[in-house]
Amino acid sequence: METGKTREPIQEVFPRDPSRTYGLMELVRGTSPMVDKGPEDTVMSWPNLLVLELLAALGTSVVLLLWSAFVKAPLRELANPNVTENPAKAAWYFLSLQELLLHMHPALAGLIIPGLVIVLLMAVPYIDRSKKDVGIWFASKKGRLIAVGSAVYTFIWLLGLVLFDEFVRVRSIVAEPELWPGWVIPIIVVGGLIILLYVVIRRWRPSRREVLIGLFTAFVTTYFTLTIVGIFFRGMGMHLVWPWDLPPGALPF
Amino acid sequence: MTTKNHSVADIITRNRVWRSIFRQGYPADDENRARAIMNSWFLHIHPVKVKLHSLKLTYTWGLGVISFVLFLILVVTGAWLMFFYVPSVQSAYTDIQNLDTAVTFGALMRSLHRWSAHLMVVVVFLHLCRVFFTGGYKRPREFNWVIGVLLWVVTMLLSFTGYLLPWDQLSYWAITVSTNIVGAFPLIGEALRQLLLGAAEAGPPALVRFYALHIAVLPVVMTILIGIHFWRIRKDGGLSSPSEASENEYGDR
Ligand code: HEM
Repeated sequence: METGKTREPIQEVFPRDPSRTYGLMELVRGTSPMVDKGPEDTVMSWPNLLVLELLAALGTSVVLLLWSAFVKAPLRELANPNVTENPAKAAWYFLSLQELLLHMHPALAGLIIPGLVIVLLMAVPYIDRSKKDVGIWFASKKGRLIAVGSAVYTFIWLLGLVLFDEFVRVRSIVAEPELWPGWVIPIIVVGGLIILLYVVIRRWRPSRREVLIGLFTAFVTTYFTLTIVGIFFRGMGMHLVWPWDLPPGALPF
Repeated sequence: MTTKNHSVADIITRNRVWRSIFRQGYPADDENRARAIMNSWFLHIHPVKVKLHSLKLTYTWGLGVISFVLFLILVVTGAWLMFFYVPSVQSAYTDIQNLDTAVTFGALMRSLHRWSAHLMVVVVFLHLCRVFFTGGYKRPREFNWVIGVLLWVVTMLLSFTGYLLPWDQLSYWAITVSTNIVGAFPLIGEALRQLLLGAAEAGPPALVRFYALHIAVLPVVMTILIGIHFWRIRKDGGLSSPSEASENEYGDR
């Protein structure tokens, strides 16, 4: 209030300390993840973490330099809308979707299934909320077995389905109306197989996380298997062939 | 820091110029190691100390760091490629041919860009699998997992938009196949396809649109998402580890 010479020295609540290098960054509720952890659980980032990061950067760069020095990026003939490539393949990471396209309606293969996969992936942390087994690969022995079982189950079914639709063909059994081979049969087969997998996993009395491990493994196995089929086993007209019988230029890279 | 010894490190680090840039001495003791991290714009995203568990190779396999290194390689080689490439149907293909045959280091840089892009799609997906199978998405990291899923999608979109740019048969037909899938979606499909291509078929407008997405829009989105991703790792208390496990179903700490 009073301005003038007789001002009382203000008592400093927060004294200025020139060597202070910290500041209040944020307020949080609860204990920090580092509470109750002895100092022996942690090490200085410099040099322990930084050395590892540097090694990762150098390793990646060396591998890529060697790879690029010996294998040149491909360049085909000039694009020509009048000369259709046969087979015409998408980029390799989309070949699993292109494979689905052979067996169902494009909206199902290109929109609904990938859309569902992305939404379900995002939902994972909100479905499995337990903190019981954080940081443990496959959660448990049981989780590991579920993963292996799910991978084998999915792989065998995929092979069976791909071969069936190539050599017997769903469309040679029911072609009309389009609703059947395009929507109804694929949904019943894929949905049924997922439900069957779920029911079998449930018999192991798994935790939620272990159920998700089973389902996620089925997704990864599908993505992987169909990508390999698409890259190496689809030739002219996207028919099945052995990799050594692929027409020249069929590899999508 | 006060002892006088005239090692080379001391001579380099004890002068005004060095100190104006780095502010701390050579990181040979814990105080300077901490300051080296905190005072550096590049390093300050790291915590000063990390859990020993986070450094275990068999936990992360370095996949997140390698994803980031690949992104950096792609930015550098990509900017370099832009010096020599014009996204027009008349010149795109010959620009790439010139890179391969006439430009100094052209073939090497193009191959680096191409193979890094393929590898990044693989490594980012493997990183996603590692986080899933170790339960790294659990509270408080739910949202960083969601950001991660977006990063995976953006990685594929970046790769996909780059695929068209050489304007060769491989690019042309891959983009035709992929956008035809979009065109088959009910109701909005054809409109969406034409929005992507800017015309009824892949042609000059498609090349310009894919180029803009590839060199401006998607890299900016990617950079922002990676920024959030790294920032969240800090805010979430570093990496997940089994020491965070709690019996409490909902993980309330
Ligand atoms: C451009 C792509 C990406 C980059 C550069 C990146 C980078 C990183 C880095 C450097 C880490 C530190 C630990 C490690 O190296 O594993 C990390 C952790 C993490 N990432 Fe990513 N990431 C990317 C994509 C993804 C994806 C696709 C997901 C999942 C959908 C994801 C989810 C996570 C989560 C949840 C963590 C914390 C894991 C833990 O605490 O155990 N990230 N990321």
